[in-house]
Amino acid sequence: MNTFKLIRLNMARKRIRSVLLVLSIAIAFFIYALLASFEHGFKGADSTSERLVVSAKAGAAQLLPISSLDRIAQLPEVATVTYRSNFRATFNDPKNFMGANAVDPSSYAAYFEGQYNFGEGQIAALETQRDGLLVGAAIAAREGWKVGDRIVLNSPFERKLDGTRNWQFQIAGIFEGTGPAIDTNFVIMRYDYFNLGRQNNQDTVANFGILPASGVSADQVIAAVDARFANSAHETQTRTENDFMKAFVEQFADVTTIVQLVVGAAFVTILMIVANTMFFAIRERTLEIGVLKVLGFSGGYIMRAVLAETLWIFAIGVTLGMGAAYGAGIVLSGPLSTIVPSLTLTPSIIVNATLLALVFSLLTGGLPAINAMRIPTTAALKGA
Amino acid sequence: MTIQPQENPGVRLQGVNKGYRIGNEQVTIFDDLDLTIPEGDFVAVMGPSGSGKSTLLNMIGGIDRPDSGQITCGFSKLNTMSEGAMGRWRASNVGYVFQFYNLMPMLSAAQNVELPLLLTKLNARQRKERVETVLKLVGLGNRAKHLPSELSGGQMQRVGIARALAVDPKILLCDEPTGDLDRKSADEILEMLRVLNKEFGKTIVMVTHDDSACRFAKRTLRLDKGKFVESAPITAQAA
Ligand SMILES: Nc1ncnc2c1ncn2[C@@H]1O[C@H](COP(=O)(O)OP(=O)(O)OP(=O)(O)O)[C@@H](O)[C@H]1O
Ligand SMILES: [Mg+2]
Repeated sequence: MNTFKLIRLNMARKRIRSVLLVLSIAIAFFIYALLASFEHGFKGADSTSERLVVSAKAGAAQLLPISSLDRIAQLPEVATVTYRSNFRATFNDPKNFMGANAVDPSSYAAYFEGQYNFGEGQIAALETQRDGLLVGAAIAAREGWKVGDRIVLNSPFERKLDGTRNWQFQIAGIFEGTGPAIDTNFVIMRYDYFNLGRQNNQDTVANFGILPASGVSADQVIAAVDARFANSAHETQTRTENDFMKAFVEQFADVTTIVQLVVGAAFVTILMIVANTMFFAIRERTLEIGVLKVLGFSGGYIMRAVLAETLWIFAIGVTLGMGAAYGAGIVLSGPLSTIVPSLTLTPSIIVNATLLALVFSLLTGGLPAINAMRIPTTAALKGA
Repeated sequence: MTIQPQENPGVRLQGVNKGYRIGNEQVTIFDDLDLTIPEGDFVAVMGPSGSGKSTLLNMIGGIDRPDSGQITCGFSKLNTMSEGAMGRWRASNVGYVFQFYNLMPMLSAAQNVELPLLLTKLNARQRKERVETVLKLVGLGNRAKHLPSELSGGQMQRVGIARALAVDPKILLCDEPTGDLDRKSADEILEMLRVLNKEFGKTIVMVTHDDSACRFAKRTLRLDKGKFVESAPITAQAA
């Protein structure tokens, strides 16, 4: 026998209680991990890139004229500028949708260098093929598309000059994200092909993308661009890509707040249950703690044993919860791929969950542990 | 009772005061109490409920502290020790036997006996040997794997005694060790304590309400109103 076994035997005493505790912790961390990976996938990874996005000051849904391009490009603070229109496209089934970007291939590739792997010659192929389409690996896998396939995408909102909503393409390449959390659930087409074909909003773009010139800070670029268009008919709001994505997502729903509320409520509830249960579980053992002290076990030893027990309960709970979330992520990532590109447990989610579990086990185990340490032996022997 | 200066002085209380403040009232339990229990003694302590028998035992064992006065056990001055030092001293010098056994319910007899050995330097194999030895000594060699719930009261108290003996302490403190047992089991336990005192030289202080338990001790102290009324040693120890 050893201390570790003693702790294990203590946990096994009220098996149902321990199992319920572990399960409730597992459920809390399951919710946490799943929602955190959902949120993470929805927002995209917090990139540390220098990418900036220029959208209309009136709102990111407003369009900007393509004519602003030259004025942005002329600014000395700007190294690279690209532009895009985007819309929702569907394939076969109106519910089977994907993002569609109409872009300038070479500046787009330069802008997203490091985020997507455009394999050998993909950009060049797109530049020589007017109706070419680069397809994200996630979609290609889902639809079974190969390079050279001819496909027709529909758009509920972008009508063509001929009045139809059917856009013909030939697949020119399949690109991948450079990491598992990078969304590839979209397609890339040429801006000129799209722009000349569409009935409405010709010569507009959704936004511009900028890489700052070397030695120029994001704030300097933001100031320069927005000043250039101040008091014009098309005022701009320039933001870092992270800020832009956040604002974009928050247009629809404040996902972060919802996630935090749900997870927060789950955690607070679980924390109270666990704290309460641990408190009474340890109090039931007051007499035994007294006996241990009589045998010569120190208050510190008893405190550590109680803390170790909570820690252990949390460790099992977190492992189960995170494991379940990992499994659920794999199962759900298929059906949910059109909503959220990836449901991976990123290292930061795992680290956060571990830290949270550590803090919670100290919080819930701390009070009973300190009580157990401090209770005088004579009082404990009376079972007080 | 004279003690040679070079001998182990046993247990010694000098000028011990102990009381409790309940509300505004100061309740005195011991007032300037002196007591010497030489090494190898077997003392039965009797007295009415609330007279301070358990308190006395707890002070000797370093679980409770006097308000003032000196307590020495062997060569250790308990009243000057820190809590931690007292715990360490107790772990190797005192065995405690409780009225209601106070065994850990989730531990087997052997594991209960092994518990205090976790604080020693013995390795797992040595602990196992020691546990087997003491369980055999109390006649429970064949019950090692049983949980307390699978043992009778008398057997549980034997486990309690085995646990108290595990670290081979000099002093055994027993608080009504037979208070929960029928006559036959009680006599077996008392006989065991007598053997431990006689054959193994343990110093035993035993609190009891049982007049016949005193027959097993070398002498009986009657505690009343904070003072001892010492009875003459009962010469006819039970065989
Ligand atoms: N924590 C405490 N606070 C106040 N008074 C206490 C406390 N502990 C013990 N006492 C008092 O000290 C006195 C002695 O208690 P003790 O437990 O030593 O008695 P006892 O002789 O062992 O009695 P019993 O035979 O019933 O076990 C009692 O009057 C009790 O009320
Ligand atoms: Mg008592």
